[in-house]
Amino acid sequence: MINSAVFNPHTNAWGEPTLVIDRITVEKSLSRYIAKLGNPVPARAADGRLQLFFVTVSIGGWAGSSISTMSSSDEGLTWSKPQRLITSPFTNLSTLVKTPAIPFADSRLGLPAYHEWIGKFGELLRIDGDQVIDKRRMSSGRSAIQPLVLVDAPEKAQAYFRQTRGSSKPHQIPVSETQNAGQSWQAQADLPIANPNAAITGVLLSNGLRILVANDLESGRSRLVMLAKDNLDTQWQTIDVLEDDEALAPEQRREFSYPYMIADGTQVDLVYTWDRKKIRHIRFDSNWIKQAYSNAQAKTVSSEEGKQ
Amino acid sequence: MKNFMQTIALLEMALTCGTLLVWLLQRNFEAQIPVAARIILALLLANLFYWPLGMFMELPLAAYIRGVTGDLSMVSLLLLWSSVLLDRIDPRNTEAHFVPMGFKVAIVIIAFSFYPFALGLGMLDPYGWGYASVGFLIAVSIFAAILAIGNWSKGTFIIALAILAWSIHWHESANLWDYLLDPFLMLWALLACISSVRRKRRERLQSGFLFRAG
Repeated sequence: MINSAVFNPHTNAWGEPTLVIDRITVEKSLSRYIAKLGNPVPARAADGRLQLFFVTVSIGGWAGSSISTMSSSDEGLTWSKPQRLITSPFTNLSTLVKTPAIPFADSRLGLPAYHEWIGKFGELLRIDGDQVIDKRRMSSGRSAIQPLVLVDAPEKAQAYFRQTRGSSKPHQIPVSETQNAGQSWQAQADLPIANPNAAITGVLLSNGLRILVANDLESGRSRLVMLAKDNLDTQWQTIDVLEDDEALAPEQRREFSYPYMIADGTQVDLVYTWDRKKIRHIRFDSNWIKQAYSNAQAKTVSSEEGKQ
Repeated sequence: MKNFMQTIALLEMALTCGTLLVWLLQRNFEAQIPVAARIILALLLANLFYWPLGMFMELPLAAYIRGVTGDLSMVSLLLLWSSVLLDRIDPRNTEAHFVPMGFKVAIVIIAFSFYPFALGLGMLDPYGWGYASVGFLIAVSIFAAILAIGNWSKGTFIIALAILAWSIHWHESANLWDYLLDPFLMLWALLACISSVRRKRRERLQSGFLFRAG
């Protein structure tokens, strides 16, 4: 089932989770057997409606997922019937969502999606209401899923991926770039940030600062950090260590995973799975992030000067 | 249309299952059932798949099958329904062809060229052409015209109906490929081609005009 909870910024507290939709309702609406639901991704449509994308699995594991969507005109109190998005020619197998949608200038939504069956690659779906009207490949092969798109300019964007490479290949964050608003994507050099085949999240702040939250390890998910980089800097700076169990013995380490972050004005909200038991929410002020980034930059400069 | 989309798709799946049972009956009992009887039997059997049977099942049987197979392409549906329910060829005659071999070969070639790229090989995604590519629509229309020139007007008619279904968004998909091709159509065409090659080889063996190997 998919639940929702509402955050009250005045009391700084979350309300009780309430049911958005369960498996039985989805299978009756879609007239087909559904075994499980997952990966809910909310988005704000241009007309103000709340749109929810999620995956359904009828048979097998998560690799057999398909995407469905539904919308709400009353901020999530009630929802329309789910509709299935058809995104793959092979019985619509294996398309998933995980990362936030991006708006297009014509009011349509760009939904970053990915396949993880025969190939493991990212795609940008162009969504009009509740149907796919176009899709473009963002990567190919079997090495990159869960594309996170950060839009730099009307025609320019970068996508960062969770790597799924073999053990002999670099475990770093793969990158693709578009110069024509997502019509075509080109692979770029990896970000020099370790990635243990774990989800990443990020936002681009209005001051041009890129923020990423990731497990910056080659393996394991016991450390979660916030990194930042501005357009002038070439180096990513770790500005906050959110969780770190690396000093503990391997069997005592907890897992901090599946981060998801959004920015709204001067607030940045991060949620992530805490040891597979809870969801943790942290709210950041963008001024704090900017200050933390300046401090990290100054520290790097002074340590480089110290080395010389 | 959207309100009826799920009902239509479920009905199609139920009728497809009913039709497959009729085909199996004809093959197993080596009986040629009259056309009207076949249609009535398929519709009766479709009820078995369309209505919830209760017991431990929350949904109709067709919904479980649809959960695994997704919606079949219009070409698959129309070929199956028309071949099993309407054709007057004796099902016991395995050498009779409901569908020209050229069409089956074309399906295999198209599918084997299409699926690897559509499923992630390289950056070219031919599946994307199915959303709104005029060039792709023209290519499909030319293919349909070739079928007509090849004296198989039923094929042209089926493809025309598939394009029409796509244009009115008959199924959930907005992609023309999903109305034209599916893995089951590819599998059927591939098996039919293999079976044809084997049969021809057997015929040549029986004719005695083959050198002994070695």
